[in-house]
Amino acid sequence: MTEGLKIENVYTAYDKADVLEGVSLAVRPGKITCLLGSNGVGKTTLIRSILGLTVPREGRITFNGQDITGLSTHKVIANGISCIPEGRKVFPKLTVEENLRLGAYQVKSDAVIRERIEEAYEIFPRLKERHVQLAGTMSGGEQAMLSIGRGLMSSPQLLLIDEPSLGLSPLFVKENFSIIERINERGVTIFLVEQNMRQTLAISDYGYVLSKGGVVAEGDAKALSENDEVHQAYFG
Amino acid sequence: MDIGLLGQYVINGLMLGMMYALVAVGFTLFFGVLNVIQFSHGDVLMVGSFVGYTAILALAAIGIDNPIIELLGALLASVGVVALLGALIARYLVLPLRSSPPLNTLLITLMLGTVLRESVRLFFPDGSNPKRFPALLPDEAFTFGSFTLRVDSLMLLIAGLLLIVALHLVINRTRLGLAIRAVAQDEETAMTMGINFRLVVLVTFAIGSGVAAFAGVMNGLYYNEINFGNGLLLGVIGFAAAIIGGLGSIYGAILGGFLFAALQTIGSVALPFASAYKDVFAFAVVIVLMAWRPTGLIAERTSERV
Repeated sequence: MTEGLKIENVYTAYDKADVLEGVSLAVRPGKITCLLGSNGVGKTTLIRSILGLTVPREGRITFNGQDITGLSTHKVIANGISCIPEGRKVFPKLTVEENLRLGAYQVKSDAVIRERIEEAYEIFPRLKERHVQLAGTMSGGEQAMLSIGRGLMSSPQLLLIDEPSLGLSPLFVKENFSIIERINERGVTIFLVEQNMRQTLAISDYGYVLSKGGVVAEGDAKALSENDEVHQAYFG
Repeated sequence: MDIGLLGQYVINGLMLGMMYALVAVGFTLFFGVLNVIQFSHGDVLMVGSFVGYTAILALAAIGIDNPIIELLGALLASVGVVALLGALIARYLVLPLRSSPPLNTLLITLMLGTVLRESVRLFFPDGSNPKRFPALLPDEAFTFGSFTLRVDSLMLLIAGLLLIVALHLVINRTRLGLAIRAVAQDEETAMTMGINFRLVVLVTFAIGSGVAAFAGVMNGLYYNEINFGNGLLLGVIGFAAAIIGGLGSIYGAILGGFLFAALQTIGSVALPFASAYKDVFAFAVVIVLMAWRPTGLIAERTSERV
């Protein structure tokens, strides 16, 4: 299988200390694949490695068969990958619309950008109401909408989502997860990194469990959620 | 005081303020995208005025003495060469030091300033003496009683204003400007939007340095003289202006530039000591301002970067 995202034996270190120690996994096209793990096991580091923000010191990352290991971030994005970062990371001093425009930074046609902004407003009517507001002055929930909308602006093949439930109310988490499902139904491959095990597996097709820098379990989402060992590895 | 004389001082102050503002904008842009202080910025300006001067000599040497062509040639050569110089400084001195302490960048650019200054002094023909910058602008003047408005001053002021408006439009209305603002706010997230970070940094340094080169030619045209040491004081003043305005804010830098010029003008005409103390006065007020508002005048309210 050459389609989709493939991570092979990746080691990534900060200041010479390995955070990822030989991670291998595959994200199949059209599916929702999740990576579960508690705080500090290297989930965000893996996202950073895929995006080229922190270059792996060993291993290979391929997307649709093409080696993207260590590419500059903007080139990784140019391959059709997009990211909804941990903590939403909207640009606080830019308006809602400018934030959305940045999501489509590599799209040259203004008509296409316009069209996608309208699409984002259809999914999140609240963003349309606030399109001239500075993103930093919005509530956490609204910023989450903006971050998701921005991630879709490049019309990505693969969307990396890092802890979408972080810091949101349970109601909002639920809404967010159903939006993620809807995005996937439109044909976008999703790699979802989360701590929230139950809700994440409920919408995922396939899951991996990361612990101390390595994958300790994997399987179909359904099987994984019924697996006691996973619970133990996860919380233990 | 006589009203005509007052008008004269206001025009002089605006002229100085415009030059300071154009220098300060560079400091603030560089700080915005990379969090660095580019201390050779004033000397980069000086290089700009010498490139412009050389271009005029070169045009004269091939027999062109139309002042409009000479002026355009000087500006194009100066802005072009210095924009490239700025990008090279970013590429080979500033970007490679990104992961080291900011003090290193400060020190290196400070040393680069000395290198640029001394190179012009040593390698430019008779570089240690001031050069007479040709008066290319019309030398007419309007006289209203005791107030004389020189056409060249007016043209320089309008040109500076147009440049500031153009810069404002680039930053606020273009895709490049959006990228610069995004990088200034959050470099990594900007990269994940697909922005080529290094390219944005290089272009920002090119723009900031090109604007300084423009100020350098303006300086030459206004004083009709350039000198290898011109950049030192202009750099310090531009830096001070950027700081008083709130480092990182373009409008703060512009405000700071005009404020500093106002202080100098007040120091030289309205206060009871010799005009030689105008810089002492202006910098003393800057110190007081910094103690009063450590984050600058604009940043205090909006803390907006670029």
